Amino acid sequence: MATLTIKNVQKRYGTVAVLKGIDLELHDGEFLVLLGPSGCGKSTLLNMIAGLDTITDGAIEIDGRVINDIHPKDRDIAMVFQSYALYPNMSVARNIAFGLEMRGMNKPDREVAVKKVAALLQMEHLLDRKPAQLSGGQRQRVAMGRALVRDPKVFLFDEPLSNLDAKLRVDMRTEIKKLHQRLGTTIVYVTHDQIEAMTLATRIAIMKEGVVQQFAPPQEVYEQPANIYVASFIGSPAMNFIPAQIVSEADRIGVRIEGAQGASVLPLPAPSAAVLKKVGHDVILGVRPETIARYQHGTNLPPNFARFSAQVSVTEPTGADTLTYLALGGRDAIARVPPKEAPNAGEVAEFTVDMARACLFDPKTEQRVG
Amino acid sequence: MQSSLRSSLSRLVVAPTFLLVLVFVYGFILWTAYVSFTGSKMLPSYEWVGIDSYVRLWQYERWHVAITNLFIFGSLFIAICLALGCLLAVMLDQKIRIEGTLRTIYLYPMALSFIVTGTAWKWLLNPGTGVQAFVRDLGFPEFTFDWLINEQFAVYTLVIAAVWQSSGFVMALFLAALRGVDQEIIKAAYLDGASLPRIYWGIVIPSIRPVFLSAIVILAHLAVKSFDLVVALTGGGPGFASDLPANFMYEMAFRRNQINIGAASAMMMLCTVMAIIVPYLYSELRGAKRG
Amino acid sequence: MASLQDLPGARGRYAIFGRVFLYAILLLFAAYYLLPLGVMVSTSLKSAAELRSGSLISLPRDFSFEAWGFAWNKANVGVNATGLAPYFWNSVVMVVPSVLISTFMGALNGYALTKWKFPGANLLFALILFGSFIPFQLVLLPMSLTLGFLGLAGTTAGLVLVHVVYGLAFTTLFFRNYYTSIPDDLVKAATIDGAGFFQIFFKIMLPISTPIMVVSIIWQFTQIWNDFLFGASFSSGASAPITVALNNLVNTTTGVKQHNVDMAAAIIAALPTLIVYVLAGKYFVRGLTAGSVKG
Repeated sequence: MATLTIKNVQKRYGTVAVLKGIDLELHDGEFLVLLGPSGCGKSTLLNMIAGLDTITDGAIEIDGRVINDIHPKDRDIAMVFQSYALYPNMSVARNIAFGLEMRGMNKPDREVAVKKVAALLQMEHLLDRKPAQLSGGQRQRVAMGRALVRDPKVFLFDEPLSNLDAKLRVDMRTEIKKLHQRLGTTIVYVTHDQIEAMTLATRIAIMKEGVVQQFAPPQEVYEQPANIYVASFIGSPAMNFIPAQIVSEADRIGVRIEGAQGASVLPLPAPSAAVLKKVGHDVILGVRPETIARYQHGTNLPPNFARFSAQVSVTEPTGADTLTYLALGGRDAIARVPPKEAPNAGEVAEFTVDMARACLFDPKTEQRVG
Repeated sequence: MQSSLRSSLSRLVVAPTFLLVLVFVYGFILWTAYVSFTGSKMLPSYEWVGIDSYVRLWQYERWHVAITNLFIFGSLFIAICLALGCLLAVMLDQKIRIEGTLRTIYLYPMALSFIVTGTAWKWLLNPGTGVQAFVRDLGFPEFTFDWLINEQFAVYTLVIAAVWQSSGFVMALFLAALRGVDQEIIKAAYLDGASLPRIYWGIVIPSIRPVFLSAIVILAHLAVKSFDLVVALTGGGPGFASDLPANFMYEMAFRRNQINIGAASAMMMLCTVMAIIVPYLYSELRGAKRG
Repeated sequence: MASLQDLPGARGRYAIFGRVFLYAILLLFAAYYLLPLGVMVSTSLKSAAELRSGSLISLPRDFSFEAWGFAWNKANVGVNATGLAPYFWNSVVMVVPSVLISTFMGALNGYALTKWKFPGANLLFALILFGSFIPFQLVLLPMSLTLGFLGLAGTTAGLVLVHVVYGLAFTTLFFRNYYTSIPDDLVKAATIDGAGFFQIFFKIMLPISTPIMVVSIIWQFTQIWNDFLFGASFSSGASAPITVALNNLVNTTTGVKQHNVDMAAAIIAALPTLIVYVLAGKYFVRGLTAGSVKG
């Protein structure tokens, strides 16, 4: 258990900058997820924390100690690899014990440690098998056991679930979360899967092209994305981005969008000063699909809800919800509505949107406004 | 992997091999190249005399015979091996029940020394003991098959034995390639109504073209290096009618004390091999990088 | 391809004749490849008298191992009537260390060149690989001088050196290609576990290299056992390997030509590689294709 501090860390290969100054600070027991598409630099950063790659500039500290030039085995970290990297020639027990063996722990102590970890992961019956005789999920467990047995200060996970099938992935995800809750260790976890990031993290660092776009708890990342990139990366189906304009109408500030029957103005409740400055300018209105609902005639709308009408192009039932595609502002927007309220394709229907949960982005900088 | 200590360990580990290769391959090639420009006879002398030995090399009738033989032997050997190997591979690819056994039989000559192969074929091709005698015994007293001792045809006996030895290997290369062809393409062609021979001729064979290239390069390389087979089968004879460059070099360097001529002929062999190998290696390594 | 035969309409009226024809051709070729070996074996089992009277492909009437025994320890090899036996053991003594040393060095090279890449590693590999393509005539002269200089001329130790040096290109190629397919994560995991360069090699890489080790050993064994050029150039008299001895025996001009002995001798010389081929043909083929296709 430890704190992890990453200070202005950079990585360059020749003239190519892979990481352009990363600053992250983790408290004891935090679960950091590095999230981003392949090539964003998240794995490079993880390898640098592990000591498997050199640091061009900046510093990485564990518990206040700079570890830049310290050999991986002396950093007190453990890592779970995407391919599991189990030693094919060794039994499960020896795989788990290998790190202890290399550190000169005597055999009886190693056996005790292996038993303890095997019990924790419920794999006592697998200890004598070779990796080739294990299923994907079992290998995953062994890989975690190998990390756990060392009781390191920081755990590193490199896309550990991406080689599992969908069902197993969800199970193992829950298992990792339980382990974290039970052990309270500091974890750095790399993934490109936003659901894993949302479910596991205490804080997410979303990366793009070697730069951290946002570093915040999952709910904050979801509700107040720093920019369009973050907003579109998190959430499925993705947030709707509708070209709009901030207008001042009567005594209200609102955004005007092009709907089925001409433009409608959606009033903004409690606009911030930054928004007020943008009156008359184009913006991108960001709306999560679940904040759009079918308008029930005769109901009274709360003040933060706005009403508009739109033509429905396609509906996709997913069981729990029906994804409804609306023509808004010249492009398709998706609403997630209960199956009972779902309109038919081709119909023009009235919808409401919760403007308190909407986001506004600058169309040029793509940053969130206000 | 970074750690500088380990990186230097890695270099240290490869160093002995590198040094051996540097001296025993590159150093030796340079030595041979230099000596080919000297007047060395029985013992190497290091006095530079220019291209004299090359001029003399090309004045040897025996060298011309060896080069012509290499051309005849090489082209026939490559062509027949390719045709036979390809044919056998396609036939074996037809869900043959005893495929494993047949493959083993076709390929086993490759495990033999050319000296053994040469000994066996020498006996089979010897007019007094082999095929000729056998057919005559069957009641064809006029039958003649004396290529082995015929100045004009001795080189073709090399082709017979070499094809016997290496065609199974070409078959194995092609078979592996055939198994790698995308089955869906074949099924698509079948659904389009193409017949089996057409599928092979029009789709499968063209798609394994790279293997043809590999096979040609390997066979050409084998042909240039051929030495043992000649020694064991014809001894270069009758006279020197079936000499190949490798045998010429050996003869000059070790039997006739013409070290400079031997070195010059070895350099000519190197040039031949380079002309084949370098473009091939270049394309292979580039391909590997892309993949 | 195979599955096409089972598709509807593929089994036409003439298909059955096609199949018979196909098998006939394939078996004919099998006979072609087997014939020389068969003739060799059958001839080696005939007595001298029967050899003169019988025909080429007739089976021996009474099996006699006389020629084998003669070839093994009585036949004239060059000048001495020692048979092939001492030369057979020469080859064994030469092959075993050559194979082991070159395979071990190849494994170490492959490991270093793939898992601990340093700048220029690929170029270095290309330089090593090139050594497998040169016509060995180029190195015969300087090599014989070098062996003389080292005091190894005409010795088995000298031949071991030669075979190790010129086998390294192949063994390095085998192991490099094999280790390329082993995930780097394995080395990373072991590094984090605290294992060093040689610990990773001996405790993890070598134990999982069995398949390629077999390929390398079989390839090297076959190549070195069957070598004639180096043996003929760098050995003298009693230190000659079996291929050279066989050639001397067959071409010896003293005494009456005994074809049954020649054939027996050829089989004795071929037997070790033939046995290896029959027992481990799969690995042999893998070595052939790996050694030559992926240049």
